[in-house]
Amino acid sequence: MMELVRVDTQRAYAAIREKIATLELAPGAPVDEGKLARELDVGLVPVREAIKLLVHDHLIEAPSMGLFIAEVKIPELRQISEIRLLLECYCAQQAARFATPDDLVVLEALCREQSQVPPDEPRLLFELDHKFHQAIAQAAHNKYLADILDDFFGLSQRLWFLALPHLEFLPAAVEKHLELVAAIKAQDENHAEAIMRQHIQSFYDKVFETLQNLS
Amino acid sequence: MTPMNNSSDALVLGIDTGGTYTDGVLLEYHSRTVLAAHKSLTTKRDFAIGIEKVIEGIQIQDPSSIQMVSISTTLATNAIAEGKGKRVALFLIGYDPELVASFQMERHFATPNFYYFAGGHDLFGQEKEALDLTALLKKTNQVKNQVDAIAISSYFSPLNPEHETRAYNAISQVCDLPIVLGHQLSTKLGSVERATTAALNASLLSVLQDFIVAVRRAMEHRGIDAPLMVVRGDGTLMSDEFAARSPVETIHSGPAASAIGGRFLSHQDDALILDVGGTTTDLALIQGGNVSISETGASVSGYKTSVKAANLLSIGLGGDSHISVDRENNIVIGPERVVPLAYLAHQHPEIQTRLKALIQKTWPPPTPSWLEYWYLLRDPGDNLRAFSDREKTLIKILKAGPIAIPDLVKQVNALHKNQLGADELIRREIIGKAGLTPTDLLHIDGRHTPWDVKTAEYGLKLLSNHLHWEEPGLTEFIWTLSSELIAKAIVEFLTEKSVPPSSAHSPDLGLWFFRNSLYAEHPHLATQIHLQYPIIGIGAPADIMLQDVAKLLHTELILPDHYFVANAVGAIAGSVMVSEEILIYPHLSEAGMDVISYYVQARDGREEFEELDDALDHARKSGYDRVLSAALRSGADNPQVVVEEIADGIDSYRIHLQAVGNPRLSK
Repeated sequence: MMELVRVDTQRAYAAIREKIATLELAPGAPVDEGKLARELDVGLVPVREAIKLLVHDHLIEAPSMGLFIAEVKIPELRQISEIRLLLECYCAQQAARFATPDDLVVLEALCREQSQVPPDEPRLLFELDHKFHQAIAQAAHNKYLADILDDFFGLSQRLWFLALPHLEFLPAAVEKHLELVAAIKAQDENHAEAIMRQHIQSFYDKVFETLQNLS
Repeated sequence: MTPMNNSSDALVLGIDTGGTYTDGVLLEYHSRTVLAAHKSLTTKRDFAIGIEKVIEGIQIQDPSSIQMVSISTTLATNAIAEGKGKRVALFLIGYDPELVASFQMERHFATPNFYYFAGGHDLFGQEKEALDLTALLKKTNQVKNQVDAIAISSYFSPLNPEHETRAYNAISQVCDLPIVLGHQLSTKLGSVERATTAALNASLLSVLQDFIVAVRRAMEHRGIDAPLMVVRGDGTLMSDEFAARSPVETIHSGPAASAIGGRFLSHQDDALILDVGGTTTDLALIQGGNVSISETGASVSGYKTSVKAANLLSIGLGGDSHISVDRENNIVIGPERVVPLAYLAHQHPEIQTRLKALIQKTWPPPTPSWLEYWYLLRDPGDNLRAFSDREKTLIKILKAGPIAIPDLVKQVNALHKNQLGADELIRREIIGKAGLTPTDLLHIDGRHTPWDVKTAEYGLKLLSNHLHWEEPGLTEFIWTLSSELIAKAIVEFLTEKSVPPSSAHSPDLGLWFFRNSLYAEHPHLATQIHLQYPIIGIGAPADIMLQDVAKLLHTELILPDHYFVANAVGAIAGSVMVSEEILIYPHLSEAGMDVISYYVQARDGREEFEELDDALDHARKSGYDRVLSAALRSGADNPQVVVEEIADGIDSYRIHLQAVGNPRLSK
């Protein structure tokens, strides 16, 4: 879809999305189009077009008055997490059925890269973790599934970001990933599904715990 | 100011960002009427600045009425020539490192970061070696933080792009950098050209995207809301989104636009176009109303690409070429471009006084290096931390005013101007150069006198004294030399052979023939070279610099109306074009004896058919729909599709489809 969008709009969209994801534009904050246009050194038109796309992504909200960065509400996050758990586990199972040798090469490369990241780079680990999950979705060879998971990730990304500085266990996720890849390689659907369930459940539990403590 | 327009007018804006000047033109499209034009200096460090100045200079009464903006640009060519493209990692799949090395092809890849991987296909589209995806991903991880883009080229990928596609799918999952694939840029089988083209495209992606974003911003600042088109190297137009994805196609768009503009304004369908600019003179050929396309791919800075561009020749001779002398006191014109002395003196009157004093000094007579002035083109401000000590000294000296080279060399305690260490400052357009140019000669003989005539006169006198050659004879020689250089370029361009450099006792017949045809020197043999096409001259110095050239080659010189901004007109006069080439070739059995089926390989996909006729039908039909749709999306109005089928060996075909239309203008 991005190919249909003007070059400067694409730029604005990517830049604003990044600012929202990293909380530079805080949840609930009003959106100042002019200021964004100046900061990004683009015209107002591409900023407005980008905002339309971000409203569609549910990252910006347009209630009757004004434009605001979407709030991050914990109860909603629980709902999103439940669906993600369901879908990611299904994903792992499908990956065990349909993963091609090329898919496995990608998964193994991501595991390797993850193991080389120093533990004091939570942001990098987090991004790699996301890439890993996207690769599993690719390996399931169901594009609708992959798209839906991407949307959900976009919605919940900021909350992970809030919790991230307080999470210490991401490095341990690498081992779980290796186990998962092995199960997929062995085409063991049940085992793959179980590992994913356990992996995600424990992640969400820790995140929610952290967020409760923060608020 | 622009005249009032009625509702059936279609106002369009054409902009050409050239090596020296950025020209803008406001045109009423249907009547081909140039309503306004403006010229401004090209700002290489950020092209958009010059563009905004030009739009401002045209003073459009109602910017919202502009229905299209189209730009031709030297951005891509310059970025490659000056090494300003981004860093690229080039992945070569199935290439033989020894073969490449034996032909010394490594230099041709346009990036020092190229890597070999197992894989690739053969002449029959069959996999010749398994793809080493693991190694590809390993290398990606190693290099992804040191480069800005990745280019992938696989052996025989136009016949079967499977390995490029698989590599793309895998790499894009582990890294977010933009990835360029060889088979999407070219269907020609030259493996080195394809790799080079992919690497160049990757290096230009963000350069061109930055440019388009800046042009869009400039348009918005001026209240213009219209489709933005970019000119390709063959003179056709593509939408800005196409340009952002295939920046390599904008190579040579400037000269191509000039050729198209020359044709558009002169209504000549067969002619030689000469675009005389400030820095270069560019030659192109129009035949049957179209710009001649080069059979081989465009070459830039020694890199051979597979990009189809206009057949062109560019020589370093223009209205502001530096007139100097070499070590043997021969007159040399160009290739460097400088600001005319008359102009600098116009801004800094003290130069006139200094030159006047200089020429009164008879012993020793001042050398021509006293005509070379450096000046502060752009003040870098007060924060000079980023500069070296030498650079800081130079800036300080120049802040006080322009200075002649011998004085500068002395002040800085160097021995020669090559030791001044100013290359970076010049490249960044902080230091500018001035000297004697053809423009100064025009001031002296009264043909073009916007600036300081006296200074130009003193400059010529100094040179005249140094060479012991009185001014009228010297001036005539310079003009003659200029005409000779251009005539030589024309002959070399059209014959694709070269005339050896002039030398006193050369036995070379080609050289003799050329000179004799220009100067009728031989007592018994008369020779002439007749150019069978008229010359269309465009660019401001065209009238003056081409009249004699036309006479020497026994043809007429046509200077169409608005010839001084024909390049900007050419930016809008092109047609919107989208093309695709589909390859059809047989799928052979194991033993290579029987044809199992026929493959139809298009840019984005491959299909298989048992019968050749079905394959051909499918290729024609699906290709037709695709190029038509792409042309419409690109802004073509009622595009027409032309299909060309070329037999390419036994049972193999190339189906070339082209959708062409005028730009769609409607509000």
